[in-house]
Amino acid sequence: MTTLEVRPEVVEPKAAATRSRKRRPSAIARQDRIGFLYVAPFFVHFVLFGALPIVFTTGLAFFNVDWSTYYDFLDRHNFQALKDAWVGMRNFDELWSDPYFWLALKNTFSIWAISTIPQLIMAFGLAMLLANPKLRGSSFWRTLLMVPNITSVLAVAIVFQQIFGRDFGLINVGLHYVNVGPIEWINERLPSHVAIATMINWRWLGYNSLILLSAILAIPRELYESAAIDGASRVKTVWYVTIPQLRNTITFMLIMGTIGGLGLFVEPLTYGGGLDGGANSQFLTLTLYLFKELNQNERLGYAAAIGVGITIVVIIISALNFLITRRIASEDSR
Amino acid sequence: MFRRSTLKVVAASAPLLFTLLVAPVHGATQVTLKVSSFGNVFEPKIVDAYRKLHPNIKIVINKMDLDGEHQQLLRSLNSNAVPDIAAVELSYMGQFRQPMIASRFTDLNTLGARAISKDYLPFRYTQGTALNGSQIGIPTDVGGLAVAYRVDLFKQAGLPTDRTKVAKLWRTWADFIKVGKSYNSKMPRSKFIDSTGTLFAAVLNQGTSKYYDPRSHQLIYSNNTHVHQAFNVAAQAGCVTKAAGKCNSSIGTKINQFTADWGAGMQHGAFATILAPAWMLDYIKQQAPSTKGKWDVAAVPGGGGNMGGSMLTIPKNSGNQAASWAFIKWYLAPAQQLTTFKQYGLFPTTYNLYSNPAIKNYKDPFFSNAPLGKIYSSSALALKPIYSGAKDRIIDSTFGQALSRVTQGTQTQSCGGHPSQTVDAAWCQALNDIRRNVG
Repeated sequence: MTTLEVRPEVVEPKAAATRSRKRRPSAIARQDRIGFLYVAPFFVHFVLFGALPIVFTTGLAFFNVDWSTYYDFLDRHNFQALKDAWVGMRNFDELWSDPYFWLALKNTFSIWAISTIPQLIMAFGLAMLLANPKLRGSSFWRTLLMVPNITSVLAVAIVFQQIFGRDFGLINVGLHYVNVGPIEWINERLPSHVAIATMINWRWLGYNSLILLSAILAIPRELYESAAIDGASRVKTVWYVTIPQLRNTITFMLIMGTIGGLGLFVEPLTYGGGLDGGANSQFLTLTLYLFKELNQNERLGYAAAIGVGITIVVIIISALNFLITRRIASEDSR
Repeated sequence: MFRRSTLKVVAASAPLLFTLLVAPVHGATQVTLKVSSFGNVFEPKIVDAYRKLHPNIKIVINKMDLDGEHQQLLRSLNSNAVPDIAAVELSYMGQFRQPMIASRFTDLNTLGARAISKDYLPFRYTQGTALNGSQIGIPTDVGGLAVAYRVDLFKQAGLPTDRTKVAKLWRTWADFIKVGKSYNSKMPRSKFIDSTGTLFAAVLNQGTSKYYDPRSHQLIYSNNTHVHQAFNVAAQAGCVTKAAGKCNSSIGTKINQFTADWGAGMQHGAFATILAPAWMLDYIKQQAPSTKGKWDVAAVPGGGGNMGGSMLTIPKNSGNQAASWAFIKWYLAPAQQLTTFKQYGLFPTTYNLYSNPAIKNYKDPFFSNAPLGKIYSSSALALKPIYSGAKDRIIDSTFGQALSRVTQGTQTQSCGGHPSQTVDAAWCQALNDIRRNVG
């Protein structure tokens, strides 16, 4: 019925406007209301799938429930069971002293560092190559760079399992011929992190190269010309002209990398250690740990507490990011 | 205005809607059965045969990994997005038999399960009976347990190759480990067994109780000496010699089962034995077709044993109860189980077949014509079921993790006064982890 009421206004806005000058302000207000309707889908979506789950999850973190209790509550509205499940801050106390949570945090940052920093350097190199005007078929190479990004993660996982297999993997078989190894790509901590980081690098290198490339191409020619007039060498031009001009882009990439890094899930899950992230939890990441508590151990409340923990980590990192970005911005304005 | 235009659209598309909704009814009603599965529970050729018999039934099988399938199933039971038929593995059956979860499955007795109940091995059939008395599953196959071994590699290692002599080599698990050591000392490029962790389940299932007290259903994993013994057998096999505190030699490889390396290792003779329930033979054939004729099958140490097997269930929220039941009844009837066995080696649960010559005299050239029918039917008939409780799967995999740490030499934590890299530290950490995960 509401649709019927507003509909004439949509059909004849000009007529409504010309009909009477006095009624104009309220016509604008009505149009504003229509405007709200246009943006409503986003807000409805955000409230339903963004805000409410956050509130729900935070609330859940104060309970100790498994799936059966949860279903029982949904089915029979068994409020007593819910009351019994209230544990207050106990989940957070446990989280604070939970070695697996801190281990997962360490693993997550380790994999993040191994994947982000080399990736940035390689992406920069690739972007410089692609930015070279002498390069032939540049659009072909640019398209090629995006291919890893659109490949199914599961397919990638299967291929990488074969590359990093301990006994018959491509790398270890190769190393065998030069009498090195076998490297424990799955069983040991650092090698497994390197292997997972490689999967991530492979996937995101091209994407980041293209972002850097577009930023490089947007640098004004005059800067290079004046550097050339000043007699700057090629290396110095890159160091003093190109890189400073890419600051904002690099910050953007770091932020995106951090978001992706903290949500690291599919790669470690499909790497062959199941939900445990390996027998010694050597590549258990934060989200994988959350998923394990939720699905395997059926501790819904504790999983929610881990979720809150991850949020706090994200807030801390965002604050750091903000500080760094502000510093860069102020350097620019100097 | 709005309404009128809607009406117009409806009126204009009415003939189309009519065709869409009514046309199929002219033939038999088209039914799509969504089946949720893992591993090799549904064999494609048998399913195809059903499709041919019933062209109006469409069967869509969604195959996932074992844990993923069960966890997704558990989450979906409360919704309408349930599969019509779901395969449940025995390691999860203890959980699914709990009244709260079992009540989300159709009691198959209401569809006529009682009439066919006599066809199945009694202990296997009752594994599908929930604690609230309803029959939630019909058994697909029975594991049984034997050892598949590579005749050619045994010969190279100077071990006997005849299956009865081989079985005599390893009457006990201690003998099995001893044979493993001597094999490894003679074969530098190959290991005795694919995964020493599998010994744990094998030894455990030879006992009378596991993690739960069969009567009180209370958790007893930490003080059931049989569990600790099984753990130690597997740990000893995984850590036969030590150097610098690290296990530097195991009778098994460091390969995890069901990974890419496992298949490759099978093909290249990286290991000489696999603990093989009947369903494992199909995996061996699929993963290493080039090793045809190089395998044989002998009895397992400790006499008999059991590993795995599945049940087919119908979630209560499925909209296709009758069609699902018709399919299950057909798929697990003796005739189809016989075909499944012949084509894929899954061992039937309809035990009247065991005296059928097709099974009694069954031999497979892939496994050097070992009398597979006889080996697995005697193993299946000798089985004593063990009570399995709600959290068996989690406890299984936590102990498995600890044993992997022993074999890999990655028990980096000390625990309960036991220094790192020791079997006792792995056991202690496993108990702590289970206490956390299960309670």
